[in-house]
Amino acid sequence: MSAIQVKNLQKYYQVYKKEPGLKGSFKAIFNRRYENVKAVDDISFSIEAGELIGFIGPNGAGKTTTLKTLSGLLHPTTGSVQVLGFKPFERRDEFKKSIALVMGQKNSLWWDLPPMETFLLNKEIYDVSDNDFKKVSDELIELLDVQAILHIQTKKLSLGQRMKCELIASLIHQPQVLFLDEPTIGLDVVMQKVMRDFIQEYNKRYKATIILTSHYMEDVKQLAKRVVVIDHGKLLFDGQLSEIVKKFADYKVLTVDFNDTVDEKKIKALGTLVSLQDRKAVISVSKEKIAHATEKLFKNFSVEDLTVEEPDIEDIIRQLFARKKV
Amino acid sequence: MKKYLQLLKLSFDLYTTYRFNFVLWRVRQFAFFASLIFFWQAMYSNTTNVLGYNQSQMLTYVVGLAFLRSIILATRTSDIASEIKEGTLSRFLLKPIGFYQYWASLDTIDKIFNLGFSLIEITVIVALFNFSFYIPHEPMTFLYFGIIVILATVLHFFMSIILSFFAFWTEDIWAARWLFGIIFLEFFSGAFFPIDMLPVTVQNIIYATPFPYLLFFPAKIWLEQLSVTQIIQSIVICGLWTVAFAYMANYIWAKGSKNYGAYGG
Repeated sequence: MSAIQVKNLQKYYQVYKKEPGLKGSFKAIFNRRYENVKAVDDISFSIEAGELIGFIGPNGAGKTTTLKTLSGLLHPTTGSVQVLGFKPFERRDEFKKSIALVMGQKNSLWWDLPPMETFLLNKEIYDVSDNDFKKVSDELIELLDVQAILHIQTKKLSLGQRMKCELIASLIHQPQVLFLDEPTIGLDVVMQKVMRDFIQEYNKRYKATIILTSHYMEDVKQLAKRVVVIDHGKLLFDGQLSEIVKKFADYKVLTVDFNDTVDEKKIKALGTLVSLQDRKAVISVSKEKIAHATEKLFKNFSVEDLTVEEPDIEDIIRQLFARKKV
Repeated sequence: MKKYLQLLKLSFDLYTTYRFNFVLWRVRQFAFFASLIFFWQAMYSNTTNVLGYNQSQMLTYVVGLAFLRSIILATRTSDIASEIKEGTLSRFLLKPIGFYQYWASLDTIDKIFNLGFSLIEITVIVALFNFSFYIPHEPMTFLYFGIIVILATVLHFFMSIILSFFAFWTEDIWAARWLFGIIFLEFFSGAFFPIDMLPVTVQNIIYATPFPYLLFFPAKIWLEQLSVTQIIQSIVICGLWTVAFAYMANYIWAKGSKNYGAYGG
């Protein structure tokens, strides 16, 4: 049975538009124009237990709204959502005890008290036994290496330290389903790697189902085999990460080293010139023309080295989002 | 139950973390007590009776009221409005913890602190100004008083929560809270002066609202100025208002939490 099922989910927000300035404010008192914003617009997908999927989309795509609906914070406008057989919005205690939502830019630790106090409070809130608490917290504290900062006021911790503690606080009750909303945001590359490794380890060790959103493709590339891509509230893609390349990339990238300097115009005739530096050119060529282009290259130029590659996933996704916006 | 004890402990930790803030808060309370005494002592300098209250009764009323306020009106539930607005309410909704129980726990520690320190401060003031604080003669009065104070505390808890719930629909509830807090709460509950100083028609209007049951009736019971029938009546009415407001809070919560935007992030 799948751990998470989303069927035709829609979530609309009502917002009112205010013109800027004082005049706009007065107008808004008497006459308000409300508009429906379709944050999530008819999305369906399902996730198996133990799966770790990447949930990607540009800002405002509806990722966070979806996660909030899945964790029971928001009531779906229409459609149905099931997590571990529960309807999230009913907010049953058993449901809450088996999930966790971690948001990268939100703080759930008690700001004025050391992280350990929040851990202990969560232990009680989630009815975690003393033994389990000791076992899990020791394990997490060691994995994330936060022993030294457990008794320092939360507000005095660095962002990276706080995120680590944030994760521990959310995992004390060993949730089976984990929603991670940009857990690596604002972290340096070293910390990003630590977080990534940790998420992977947690997924394996606890057989947890995880949905991860991130703006860093590295996160998704390393962690998730399967990705769900959404934009403007609509589902664009759901499948293996490698499939994105096949499905959306209709071109390949040629990197050529020439023996002599070359005429830019001549290269442009082969395909789209991405860059030309000294004697090195990067050209993107549509798939059906690739044979023709390489043939021409060897015929017309003195080529030292040539590689033909699939385009970078990041580029494809960027183009995917850019295309949808037009 | 243990989770709420842990919450109590954390709130206690918070108070002790900010010692300076804590001291200032108590100084403010003390200054407030003292200024009330000065005012009424001046009022009684030429007369022994102001609208049916002698000096001892009046001073007991105002000091006692300051004390009642610190138990009944002290609440953290006004924070709920900003929690809703800023989306931080999410962290409770995600956790298996009772919403009312959570806020009641925070309030309890607030009230325990208030109660303890107010008792000390009142003792100091009574000794300092050397006036006779009215102590009830009838043992039953303490029982009635205890019951109505508990009811009034719960009543105000739900009133304040309902007011905060309006944040589900409106952007800002500052104006509503001000209207409620200053006009109704302070005036109609008898926080400024005893309601029975007012003309009878006005009194009757006020008695039809829940506000006098918050402070005025508890104070009257302490002063033993009500008959047993009146006491029972006021306790029953206070209880009915409490039940009504609890229902209303639940209803508004059910409606409002569907409207909750979980903003931010």
